[in-house]
Amino acid sequence: MSQKVYITGLGMISAIGNNVPECFLSLSQSKTGIGKIQYLTTRYKDEFLAGEIKLSNAELADLVGDQNPALNRNSYIAMLAAKEAVLNSGIDTKDGLRTGVISSTTVAGMSKTELYYKDLFKNDEHLDVLDTHDCGDSTERIADYIGNVDYVTTISTACSSAANAIMLGCRMIKHGHLDRVVVGGVDALSKFTFNGFNTLMILDREWCRPFDENRKGLNLGEGAAFVVIEGENALNHRKGKALAELIGYANTNDAYHLTASSPEGFGATLAIQQALALSGLKPTDIDYINMHGTGTPNNDLSESKATVAVFGNQVPKFSSTKAFTGHTLAAAASIEAVISVLSLQNSMIFPNLNFNTPIAETGLIPETTLVHTPLNVILSNSFGFGGNCSSLLFKKA
Amino acid sequence: MNAITSYAHIKHNTVTVNGTVVFKSASSVSIHEFLLESYKFLAMNYPKFHKMDVQCKLAIIATEFALRETALLTENDLAKIAIVFSNHASSLDTDKAYQNSISDKSNYFPSPAIFVYTLPNITIGELAIRHKITGENAFFVCEKFDPALLINYCESLYLNGIDAVIAGWVEAETNNDEAFIFLSESQRNTNKNAIFKPLNQTTLTELYNLT
Repeated sequence: MSQKVYITGLGMISAIGNNVPECFLSLSQSKTGIGKIQYLTTRYKDEFLAGEIKLSNAELADLVGDQNPALNRNSYIAMLAAKEAVLNSGIDTKDGLRTGVISSTTVAGMSKTELYYKDLFKNDEHLDVLDTHDCGDSTERIADYIGNVDYVTTISTACSSAANAIMLGCRMIKHGHLDRVVVGGVDALSKFTFNGFNTLMILDREWCRPFDENRKGLNLGEGAAFVVIEGENALNHRKGKALAELIGYANTNDAYHLTASSPEGFGATLAIQQALALSGLKPTDIDYINMHGTGTPNNDLSESKATVAVFGNQVPKFSSTKAFTGHTLAAAASIEAVISVLSLQNSMIFPNLNFNTPIAETGLIPETTLVHTPLNVILSNSFGFGGNCSSLLFKKA
Repeated sequence: MNAITSYAHIKHNTVTVNGTVVFKSASSVSIHEFLLESYKFLAMNYPKFHKMDVQCKLAIIATEFALRETALLTENDLAKIAIVFSNHASSLDTDKAYQNSISDKSNYFPSPAIFVYTLPNITIGELAIRHKITGENAFFVCEKFDPALLINYCESLYLNGIDAVIAGWVEAETNNDEAFIFLSESQRNTNKNAIFKPLNQTTLTELYNLT
């Protein structure tokens, strides 16, 4: 039997804080990070709210300690969160064991490229910006920032990207390719993203209301989160401490529509069922679900139906934390992995903000206030455009 | 034993299937026309094809050619077929088209129909919808065609209960459009045209470089 895989370090930067302790404080005080747009220059500045990281690019560069002018917001926040996760875990990448970095992003360097896009056709003055545009760039920079990394790869599967990075990292450990992996995702806000989601007409002009009958859409957010996962052999070898165990994961395709989930949540149901099957647990073993819950009419109904399909009339306590952070796209699943581990560690369910009225069709009611309760197993869902559905299962260590 | 059962390579307006050139357009023909001619050659009847971006069309056409040489879709559970694609520039070709539609204040015309294609894994979504495939799927962005990455991922999928994989490299890039799609299966299929090559890095590298 393959070895167990544990989460041993957490790192996160988002609208609710620049590091894990700050994010935890906001979560436990029910303090959202979504507000008026302050940092991104966009024509939608006064029209939409966003979950921005409360730091300018110059402030981020100072925090990272790298003034390379070609670097972009995506790389800065990825480097900060990955470094925090590594320091938190206490791993030493120079100890001879094999370390990997598996990151994910959808917009990559777009927040910077779009500023110089028109100039790039005129002259070569900002050509260096293009060097940092590709999806793989922030991953390479994380690897350099951490040092002594043996394997690097980048996944891009829309809003379930980071879940798939976590899943791949876990498998590479189980199959003996790596001893530990820094896994997660990153997406910085860009005009490109705002324009696109507005074009699709799935943005709420007010605070998003996941699982509410009157929800209108999502709020975009930005962030980066990474976790260090380690095989039990490597962990025991260095006598490290586990924060949680990764006991189940699955990815499926909904095969229904490019930007909408099937009405019955077919792909989501399969993902949850397959993750449960891998863990050997029963639906009744799940203590809490951190939902994808974006606040769009389509996602929340489809996810509710998938939840009912799997759990029947015994739906566990659940909430979406998107109303804290906004929808951080490729980073969402790793941000919610960090939040899930914080829930396990502190025996706390963080509330589903802005909820008033249950969805008529399913009647599901999320937790709307901070709940203190012992938690043993948490399910976390992430679904993306292109029909990509992922579910992860975390167990208290 | 896991085997490569068919592959298709599209490059320079030419389609090679299992080592043989099966369709070709003049080099002067645009990628759009070439893909449309391929669609007609295959006698496909799939109207959704016409709204897709070049990257999706490349993937759909290459996979269609490869699938015709195997019984992959009929002899495997659709929930146990995985799709793993990779490329260098994510969705850059369509990203540029969308950026052009929003970067000029006097000529601002953002379209949801274009924005949809600004994610690389939409290519997988289109293929999954086309064939009702609901197994695991992943899209990797890497420097160049990486046989080790794809073979390792396929092996890991087989260890996790997947029965067949549609995998490869697909990239829309002006004057350098390319799709290399290989099919692999865990058991022999009954189509007499199927090839049976070992699923390993050496073989995959050879097949890719052959054309």
